[in-house]
Amino acid sequence: MLGLYVHVPFCAAICNYCNFNRGLYDEGLKLRYVAALLDEIARARDGTPADTIFFGGGTPSLLEPAEIRAVLDALRRSFAVTPGAEVTLEANPETVTAARLAAYREAGVTRVSFGAQSFRDEELIRLSRLHSAHRASAAVAEARTAGFDNVSLDLMMWLPQQTLAQWLVSVDALIGVGPDHASLYLLELYPNAPLKDTMAREHWSLAPDDDAADMYLAAMERLDAAGYTQYEISNVARPGRESRHNLKYWQDEEWLGFGCGAHSTRGGVRWKNRSATVDYIEAIGAGAPLATEVRTLSPRERAEEAAFTGLRLSAGVDLEAIRLRYAVDLWDERRHELERFVDAGILSYDGRRLQLSRRGMLLANEVMAALLGSSVLE
Amino acid sequence: MDQRYIRNFSIIAHIDHGKSTLADRFLETTGALQAREMEAQVLDAMDLERERGITIKAHPVRLNYTAKSGQQYVLNLIDTPGHVDFGYEVTRSLAACEGALLLIDASQGVEAQTLANAYLAVENNLEIIPVINKIDLPSAQPDECKRQIEDIIGLDSETAILASAKAGTGVVEILEAIVDRLPTPTGSFEAPLKALIFDSWFDPYRGVVIVVRVIDGVMRPKMRIRLMAAKQDHEIDSLGVFSPKATPVDELGAGEVGFVVANIKVVADAKIGDTLTEVARPTTEPFPGFKELKPMVFAGLYPVESSQYAELREALDKLRLNDASFFYEPETSTALGFGFRCGFLGLLHMEIVQERLEREFNMELVTTAPGVLYRVTTTDGVVQEIDSPAKLPDAGRIAKLEEPVISATILTPSEHVGVILQLCQDKRGVQKKLEYMKSDRVLINYEIPFNEVVLDFYDRLKTISRGYASLDYHVIGFWESPLVKMDVLVNGDPVDALSMIVHRDVAYERGKALVAKMRELIPRQMFEIAIQAAVGTRIIARESVKALRKNVLAKCYGGDISRKRKLLEKQKEGKRRMKRVGKVEIPQDAFLAVLKMGTE
Repeated sequence: MLGLYVHVPFCAAICNYCNFNRGLYDEGLKLRYVAALLDEIARARDGTPADTIFFGGGTPSLLEPAEIRAVLDALRRSFAVTPGAEVTLEANPETVTAARLAAYREAGVTRVSFGAQSFRDEELIRLSRLHSAHRASAAVAEARTAGFDNVSLDLMMWLPQQTLAQWLVSVDALIGVGPDHASLYLLELYPNAPLKDTMAREHWSLAPDDDAADMYLAAMERLDAAGYTQYEISNVARPGRESRHNLKYWQDEEWLGFGCGAHSTRGGVRWKNRSATVDYIEAIGAGAPLATEVRTLSPRERAEEAAFTGLRLSAGVDLEAIRLRYAVDLWDERRHELERFVDAGILSYDGRRLQLSRRGMLLANEVMAALLGSSVLE
Repeated sequence: MDQRYIRNFSIIAHIDHGKSTLADRFLETTGALQAREMEAQVLDAMDLERERGITIKAHPVRLNYTAKSGQQYVLNLIDTPGHVDFGYEVTRSLAACEGALLLIDASQGVEAQTLANAYLAVENNLEIIPVINKIDLPSAQPDECKRQIEDIIGLDSETAILASAKAGTGVVEILEAIVDRLPTPTGSFEAPLKALIFDSWFDPYRGVVIVVRVIDGVMRPKMRIRLMAAKQDHEIDSLGVFSPKATPVDELGAGEVGFVVANIKVVADAKIGDTLTEVARPTTEPFPGFKELKPMVFAGLYPVESSQYAELREALDKLRLNDASFFYEPETSTALGFGFRCGFLGLLHMEIVQERLEREFNMELVTTAPGVLYRVTTTDGVVQEIDSPAKLPDAGRIAKLEEPVISATILTPSEHVGVILQLCQDKRGVQKKLEYMKSDRVLINYEIPFNEVVLDFYDRLKTISRGYASLDYHVIGFWESPLVKMDVLVNGDPVDALSMIVHRDVAYERGKALVAKMRELIPRQMFEIAIQAAVGTRIIARESVKALRKNVLAKCYGGDISRKRKLLEKQKEGKRRMKRVGKVEIPQDAFLAVLKMGTE
């Protein structure tokens, strides 16, 4: 079944490490944007069944509950959204109150995902975040009060100046707060990130790579002990609380993205909407095409991409299923390279599934690159 | 042509002292080319030469000059290679001349190579006209230059011409001096044909083009000629001169410079220094001084992709058509697969060949560290020369090992003498001469094992003298030395392409530096990698590359799979350029680690 993604490109402040498609919040622009979104969704009407909806950003919780409701209504008109569909809203802790969360729930949101990032104020300040550690815990409590039984938290590790012990303070705090799902990311500094300049100015440094690996492994062990199950490289959940929407990205399924810069995959074609917010709004107004970077994948590319995305999952990826689907036998073709990872003890293959060990997950790029035959992108 | 109105000359100059610019001015002034036709520095024809600002091959140019007296002259400018690797070509170019311009940069002064070439010119009885160039520069010190000309080279500087090729000043004075001061050729038209080959190259349409200076006699199309050293006869197809475009002529007589096309297929058959004569009436005395050029520096060249082996062979074949001084034979390495052992005149020559293979033939290459030719006497009394550490017999079978030695002349301002002497000592040199000149220059002469110079001598010399010291050298013979073969083991497997021959006393230190550099160059992989240096079975140094623990992109944002693919492809591309030895992936540049020791 289809997954539906809606992009909200507004933020109250720009974080110094983030290069997602976003810009500063502007009331007038937001109104025009929501209207454009509704237009785009109406145009895409085809009645296909869909069982997940994901509001990502940016900061989707800057949209009013009524706006979220309007978008959900539009999606229900255009697609056969199943009863019990997972509807996720990404939210920043400082943007919510118990009342606002209740209104989102009322509007149809079933899952909230808070960008907590850290439970240490010192680190939140370094990241130029607007909330405090206390606000993050409070937001989860407010979500519970509002009736959400599916709450996720994002944490980032390998922050400037962060030690292993300090990282585990955040992990323990997260366990204490008790979300149903958590995503743990390694900070990635893109080339011109303002945080890089700040780091240079303040003489902040990152722990060595090996310590980053230790942070990851130690966090996963604590989450295991606390009853969470790791189901993907960066994601853990209580039983039944995996992100159904994100699983589509990793299980070779299809999704449609709405809004500026949103990505879609359907029928072996991948594309991306125009990125710039105003450009997107104007294209909608003019009835101009939105899709850019359209890639029609060959069966080989589809097989390779199904394999490397599937490899992110703890359960591994079923190469036999890929062979039957695309008639490309990746194990047979790449065996020589893949066996090196098996020998190194970070990958296993049982004749069907290719599976990374936890230590192997930290080296996922090495294995994934080996799954690619030849270059297809410029 | 009347020899009284011919002048044949070369320009002796250090790199960057303005030789090409001056040659351009000659072309302009004599009307050989209009300024608008000129691309800067016409004589350096190959792109590579222009980019590097060095001339590899000598291209003669015929200039028609009307002197102030009103008399018409033919001036043949015979360009000379500007690098020590091509010393023999320089001697042949000078042998084709009666005179030379000694071009000196007014702010740099006399450099070692200029000195060496000036001595060569004197030995060849050439009349020398000193020219002090770049006098328009604020840093110009023409008086200091004059002092150096007298003091270091021993020439009268009274008659030196002050010029700026760039600004065009002094150019006519130089042309007049060439006419007035250089001797005329003195060959005989009636004598049997004798012509000196001082250059040759392969032209895809005409075959080999031979450039000659006619000493005696005259040649015409259809004449049957003999290449005396090559012992080959050919019929002259066409004759011509470069003015500077190739222009056909009906004859080339005594005193003249021009080119001969005679249906010759490979440059190796028309060797520089060979004498050309008439089959019907051969000269009894070939021009003296011919020698076979011998490669001195050897390295392995391997394709990055083993499937490119056949292509590499074809590319080498093609290059060889045009470069007789370069040698190659198939070689197999357990580490690198199939490739070629290649011999070069020197390091620059090696770089040029490498660059041409990469640029003109799109080859991706792994080059192994360059080494020299060693002479081995085995216990059974057999003497052999080996061009690769892999060919060195077992230590037990070696009775005597000899390495080539050079005579190195270094010219430096006196403040750097201390560090330079230290460098020469470190490189196992033996001091032969140390002479303080009046003009604050010091002339240093050392005999140094060539192998030490091949590694990083020149770079270090430039660094420690802040660019002021200059070097000239030539190979003088062999020394017996206690040499050993040092192997490098990666995860216990010897990597043959990394073996090298070193002096016993420096093996430990070299080994340590080499494995330390290798540790920097080999990226972390799935497992720990041990890098060891060994002499025989004895491990003399060890480093390890720790296992890679993290290479993951945590977030796969909003379903952007294409971006993820792009990142993975980039990573894969990086790996493709590495060579796998056993389980270890070794980047191309690690095979040249030995050249990078001591650099950050």
